[in-house]
Amino acid sequence: MTFKTSGIRIGLVAQCGWSRRIAIACAALAAIAPAISQPAAQTPAYRAPRTSDGKPNLNGIWQVLNTANWDIQGHAAAPGPMLPLGAIGAVPPGLSVVEGGEIPYLPAAAAKKKENFANRLTLDPEVKCYLPGVPRATYMPYPFQIVQSQKRIMISYQYASATRIINMENPKKAPIDSWMGWSNGHWEGDTLVVDVTGLNDETWFDRAGDFHSDALHVVERYTPRSPDSMRYEATIEDPKVFSRPWKMSMLLYRHAEDNAQLLEFKCVEFVEELMYGHLRKKSSQ
Amino acid sequence: MIRRSLTSSFFVPSAIAVAWLTMPLAFGQAPSAVAAKTAPAPKPWTLPHLPDGHPDFEGVWTNASVTPLERPKELGAKEFYTPEEAAEHDKHELEDRTSWDRLGNQATVHYDMSQFGLDVSKVKVALSRRTSLIIGPDGRVPPLTPEARQRLADRAAKQRGHEFDSYENRPLQERCIVWANEGPPMLPAAYNSNLQIVQGDGYVGILQEIIHDARMIPTDGRPHLDSGIRQWMGDSRGHWEGDTLVVDTTNFTSRTAFRGSTETLHVVERFTRVSDDTILYEFTVDDPATWTRPWTAQLPLVKVDAPIFEYACHEGNLGMPNTLSGARAADKAAAEKAAQKDAK
Repeated sequence: MTFKTSGIRIGLVAQCGWSRRIAIACAALAAIAPAISQPAAQTPAYRAPRTSDGKPNLNGIWQVLNTANWDIQGHAAAPGPMLPLGAIGAVPPGLSVVEGGEIPYLPAAAAKKKENFANRLTLDPEVKCYLPGVPRATYMPYPFQIVQSQKRIMISYQYASATRIINMENPKKAPIDSWMGWSNGHWEGDTLVVDVTGLNDETWFDRAGDFHSDALHVVERYTPRSPDSMRYEATIEDPKVFSRPWKMSMLLYRHAEDNAQLLEFKCVEFVEELMYGHLRKKSSQ
Repeated sequence: MIRRSLTSSFFVPSAIAVAWLTMPLAFGQAPSAVAAKTAPAPKPWTLPHLPDGHPDFEGVWTNASVTPLERPKELGAKEFYTPEEAAEHDKHELEDRTSWDRLGNQATVHYDMSQFGLDVSKVKVALSRRTSLIIGPDGRVPPLTPEARQRLADRAAKQRGHEFDSYENRPLQERCIVWANEGPPMLPAAYNSNLQIVQGDGYVGILQEIIHDARMIPTDGRPHLDSGIRQWMGDSRGHWEGDTLVVDTTNFTSRTAFRGSTETLHVVERFTRVSDDTILYEFTVDDPATWTRPWTAQLPLVKVDAPIFEYACHEGNLGMPNTLSGARAADKAAAEKAAQKDAK
């Protein structure tokens, strides 16, 4: 007998109430029932379409519909750091994507986050078109594309031409630290689980100054929940910055347009004046 | 059409079969038709396919090369070296020349690349018996049209004396916007000439190590982007011709400037796997505003057993501020010298 639906569990509980003689057995069942039904509740009812090798098919162009890139924690609308931009530069409001709402910063790190926020115009790596790192690449306001094969999965992000290759074969150790890190992936049921290490300490989590060190370890989980959406979860572990691991959770939506495609957003040329303009020859200004 | 039948060395796709018969190629283990007649029949090679039925191009490949794009003039119409000549040429290129020779006049202000394992003498090289990557009796980029000559002369005149005025005067690859080798067409770089191919549902992804640009090529028959959308690397559309992947790219910017080209640049690339270790890569480029005729080049991509590393070009670009700071310091020194002269 399987305890797949809550209907069966409710039925048992009702029977218990009906007959006092089996109360002990009922208590035992009542204790077991939630334990049995819980995995069933976590297993999504949705079964994703398969690739030709039988794996859940994540191929496609995806993007978030949230404002986590402005601030992963819940935030009201606010003026942006560049007042001349008016409403264009304002911060759109958004709910927290951090489970529990709080990021468990160590005391010194909490102070640094505040300092980062105060100086975000000069310190946020996004201002300089630097590679976004993981998980920030996922929830920037730009699409990304998954090209999935058996041995590896390529993720190409529109922002700054950032790219990752997820190794789906035997996990390998990160050979060196990098901006986008080193990704080993495997399947747990319909969920793609990606273990990311080898991340440098140059990237942030958002425009609000949330940051990490080079001890960052990210475990991502991509779980299809309908033909055009999947859940994205990222567990963040960094003992140099946080007192305990914490987790982000959000939804990714498919670009379902027939002609959807990644276009170039090679932003280097948009930041050169900011970065190198002061070195321009005087007479040519 | 998807071709799933077993493809032995004797039944390779027609274009390649012709190539084997007419050209003495020297790619990896691929047996030539001539050799097959005289030597004991080699074990037939089977083109590997992915579960979706398309040929398997997956893996990390290098196009590192010691073959010049254009044929040295003294070789005339000689398109191929003999095996002995090829061995001598490759040995000379890889053993006699240093990375400083290869870098030319940059070497004195740059570094010895062999020290960092970047030089072509330190890596796996996609050897070819071709005397130039460009095929045909000329082996050279065709002459520029009069319009293109004028355009390039004007551009050079405008730039002369202003090379260090600003970031805008520096080459695109020094600015980490797009490297000249990235293309399309994809050509060997001075170092890190590696690319990785991943094939998903209706897409072929090609990641080039320099400078971490991934090309996402749809093979579902969709039309090119609207002509109003222009991109540094153009807009690529792929389709299968038998076991060959054909990629058509248009919609380039006028600033992409592949060897002086304009926004009417049109590139057609053909990928054909010819052995476990080798993909034959061929491209034809055309731009009526630049060259008097289209031209075609052919080079092997050879399998490498190593991951692609992240080439974070812009993030590590200390070269740009250093170059411009140096130029401004020189301006200042020159101005002070002139002022001293005036004072005397």
